[in-house]
Amino acid sequence: MSQFDAIVVGGGVNGLIAGTLLGRRGKNVCIIEKSDRFGGMASYSVDGGPTLAHSLYNLSPRALGDIGIGIQHPVLSSKPVSTVSLSEDGRHIVFKNDGVYWSDGTKHRESDAWSDLTRQLITYGDLLRQLAEAPPPGGQKAILSRGALNEFLRLAKLGIDLKKLGKSEMRRFLQVVLSNVHDIILDDLSEGPVAGMLAADAIWGTATGPRSPGTVFNLIYRLGHGGTITQPAGGMCALTDLMVEAAQKAGCLLMPDTEVSRILLDNDAVSGVETTDGRTIAAPNVLSSLAPKLTSRMTGPSAFDIETMRRVRNIRARGTTAKVNLRLKDSSALPSLSDELAHERLIYAPSVEYVEAAFNPAKYGQMSKAPVIEAFKMQTADGASWLSTIVQYAPSDLEGGWTETAKEQLAEIAVETLSRALPGLGDQIAGKQVITPDKIESATGAPGGHWHHAEMSLDQLLTLRPTNGMSRYSMGPKGLFQCGAATHPGGDVMGLAGRNAALAALEALP
Amino acid sequence: MSIFTDPKLGLIPGPFHKKLEEQNRAQNWYDWAGYAGPGVLDSVEFEYFALRNQASLFDISPMHKYRLTGPDTTAMLNRLVTRDVRKISVGRVGYAVWCDEEGMIIDDGTLFHLGDNDWRLCCQEQMLTWLLDAAWGFDVSVVDETHSVAGLSLQGPTSYAVLEAAGLDVSKLKPFDLAQIEHSLMISRTGFTGDLGYELWCDWDKAEALWDRIWKGGTHQGLRAIGYEAVNLARIEAGFLTAGVDFQPVHATERLHRGQTPFELGLGRLVDFNKGHFNGRRELLSKRENPRSLLLRFDVEGFKPSEGSLIYNRRKKEVGHITSGIWSPTAKRSIALAHVRMPDAGRSSGLKAEIYTLQEGKWRTRMARLTPVTKAFFAPPRARATPPART
Ligand SMILES: Cc1cc2nc3c(=O)[nH]c(=O)nc-3n(C[C@H](O)[C@H](O)[C@H](O)COP(=O)(O)OP(=O)(O)OC[C@H]3O[C@@H](n4cnc5c(N)ncnc54)[C@H](O)[C@@H]3O)c2cc1C
Repeated sequence: MSQFDAIVVGGGVNGLIAGTLLGRRGKNVCIIEKSDRFGGMASYSVDGGPTLAHSLYNLSPRALGDIGIGIQHPVLSSKPVSTVSLSEDGRHIVFKNDGVYWSDGTKHRESDAWSDLTRQLITYGDLLRQLAEAPPPGGQKAILSRGALNEFLRLAKLGIDLKKLGKSEMRRFLQVVLSNVHDIILDDLSEGPVAGMLAADAIWGTATGPRSPGTVFNLIYRLGHGGTITQPAGGMCALTDLMVEAAQKAGCLLMPDTEVSRILLDNDAVSGVETTDGRTIAAPNVLSSLAPKLTSRMTGPSAFDIETMRRVRNIRARGTTAKVNLRLKDSSALPSLSDELAHERLIYAPSVEYVEAAFNPAKYGQMSKAPVIEAFKMQTADGASWLSTIVQYAPSDLEGGWTETAKEQLAEIAVETLSRALPGLGDQIAGKQVITPDKIESATGAPGGHWHHAEMSLDQLLTLRPTNGMSRYSMGPKGLFQCGAATHPGGDVMGLAGRNAALAALEALP
Repeated sequence: MSIFTDPKLGLIPGPFHKKLEEQNRAQNWYDWAGYAGPGVLDSVEFEYFALRNQASLFDISPMHKYRLTGPDTTAMLNRLVTRDVRKISVGRVGYAVWCDEEGMIIDDGTLFHLGDNDWRLCCQEQMLTWLLDAAWGFDVSVVDETHSVAGLSLQGPTSYAVLEAAGLDVSKLKPFDLAQIEHSLMISRTGFTGDLGYELWCDWDKAEALWDRIWKGGTHQGLRAIGYEAVNLARIEAGFLTAGVDFQPVHATERLHRGQTPFELGLGRLVDFNKGHFNGRRELLSKRENPRSLLLRFDVEGFKPSEGSLIYNRRKKEVGHITSGIWSPTAKRSIALAHVRMPDAGRSSGLKAEIYTLQEGKWRTRMARLTPVTKAFFAPPRARATPPART
């Protein structure tokens, strides 16, 4: 007799939500996490510095609701932040809910155009979310590959409330969703920081530039929950702690500091897992939040069909995002920014072309010399002040590898870039942390340290996510499921992948 | 077939080409995987009767041959093919099929267990990329030996005597045994004719010498070089399947649902569900009980070759077709392999083939009654005797 109905491998956001949901439906669940802290990429930090993920824009109320966390919870009730596009000339641009403003408070002339476009994308995002909240249709059977495009169109039509959208809007949606964000943005906006902001929001965490096909999809995906950006009160760890609490309340056994080395099989069905310290834990179901390649390696390629393994090993996951955390000497204001703006979301993306140019070196294994940056000024639990920055592009396959020198160079580039708009920033810095994709990979297992565990490109989305034939969360032997960011709908601190996987597993559970 | 031949290159000579050319009075060459293979050297009748009554030599070098070695070879092969290769001991040869993830046959072939973790796979279709895919994650090396190992098939009742006369002792070889007889000569007691016979494997550059040696050994045994047409008659009598004829290798099909499961081809005995996972297993578990059609053997009324004929049931509904159909000179009747759709394949009585005949410019059709046969049409005991008779 197994002690558990299900074991969840990996206690990131998706693993926690998957396990908790099963626990709340009366299943005996154990969640195994290799690190000493749960939360995965969302809560990973070095020496108490800022976490990898530092803001919420896609957290799913539905996933939270399914594990008993109300969206009104104090941790989630902090005020939405605006986005500030930093400018060299000090005339920063502020993107608010109701429009675009100069930092002196006057309205930007592209405010209406930006608002209209954003609103439209949010409508589309709403539709996409409906698809995201349901496992893609198609049943367990492998769908014969007929190209990502057709598949996508079929699905898009299927999930969409036509009446709500109207015919011409629908047509436009299907047109734009497959195209590149460069063209779509510059149809409505002139080249410059307003357009640059949308271009940047289309490429975080991906190995694409604004001119790459499918980037409109990424932007819509990001706006799938309305586009509001918040930071959890108490930091990202406060949110993951909340999830841990929910898991415990649901009766899940949490096993930190435990690394799964093998997924065990008996007669083509899961029988449990083995840990690196030699323990065997039995259960007829395993939900793995690790990417398919790792999951299949832990199970052994013999357990899967040859075609499955071919697809799995060809999943593209090239991480392009690094964290550069700048410890500030004190909490004093940032140069050239009012104190009010300093606590908003800061980005450096002066134009669409700038974002595209930042991507170019990454194609050839180089880091951007002029990167796209997102920064939050924040305080960690110990009271230290930080500028937590996401630096794009820092490819996982950097030529020559991520040596100390390379990391130092990346940090310098990040400071230099920000200093163009925040002159004198360098003098306020007391220390730097550089967390490159290779480090993210070794810490969390995500292939290439990829934000979404697998590239969010049209050939790896919806029924094709993570690969053709695997979109229903099950994989190979009976009782084996995937529940991480590599599955539909994808990553971000969102939780829908984990939730959907748990629901799929429940269907199969006796 | 799926092999692309460069028209500028034309057909290329195989390792025995010079020898075959000397004897190819009919000048009838066909394209076998890009090589020039003899369809007929002289006349089909002579060649066929040499095969059944004396001994015959047929060049099988164009077969695709892959060498698989390394510590995980057994595990890798067991995930590839549907049968349990652990039951094929060293020194044995096993017939096997392998399927895609849908349980549809990719190809069939023979597995030669040459030594510990040392195997050779021989098959009709090009398989290198598939084998490399199959080997991913396993400690196995896959080497394409197609163009470095030559093969010669010596078949017929006097084949043992021919080898003896050539100074090669294979008296201990039982059917499906193999042995490294000399430094660069491996002999297996295998073949595609259902008769007593051997297959000889050597390095490409040793091929001509081997031919000469066997040829000399055959001087008093009626040995004859033969072409594919004679072999084809023999293999149909033996009930063996040809890829692309009696089944569609699924990787070579372009239309949907043209593949077939082992169960549909009557090869269910080659599927071992208890050995652990193998490619297509999960699909085959559910497809086992629901074949869409069955490959059947029939005696065909009359004596006209029935290949390509459509099959009708009692209600005159078309329910299948004949894939291979010949007048069997040995069984002395018209025989056929056929695909018949369910449920008629389950009943398989009252079926008729619509045979078209052409006589001096006049087409006729004839409805020929089909009588199901379960065994091979021809399976002489001499094929199994060890040591074999010298005849
Ligand atoms: C630099 C960076 C910044 C980001 N910023 C944001 C952001 O601001 N906002 C946002 O919404 N998203 C952000 N993301 C994306 C987001 O963090 C991830 O998509 C999401 O957290 C993925 O969650 P997950 O549970 O699927 O996987 P993970 O968080 O990767 O969880 C997998 C877990 O499995 C554990 N594990 C691995 N191997 C084993 C093993 N063998 N045994 C046991 N446990 C194992 C790992 O330790 C990890 O905890 C960012 C990503 C990156 C890389």
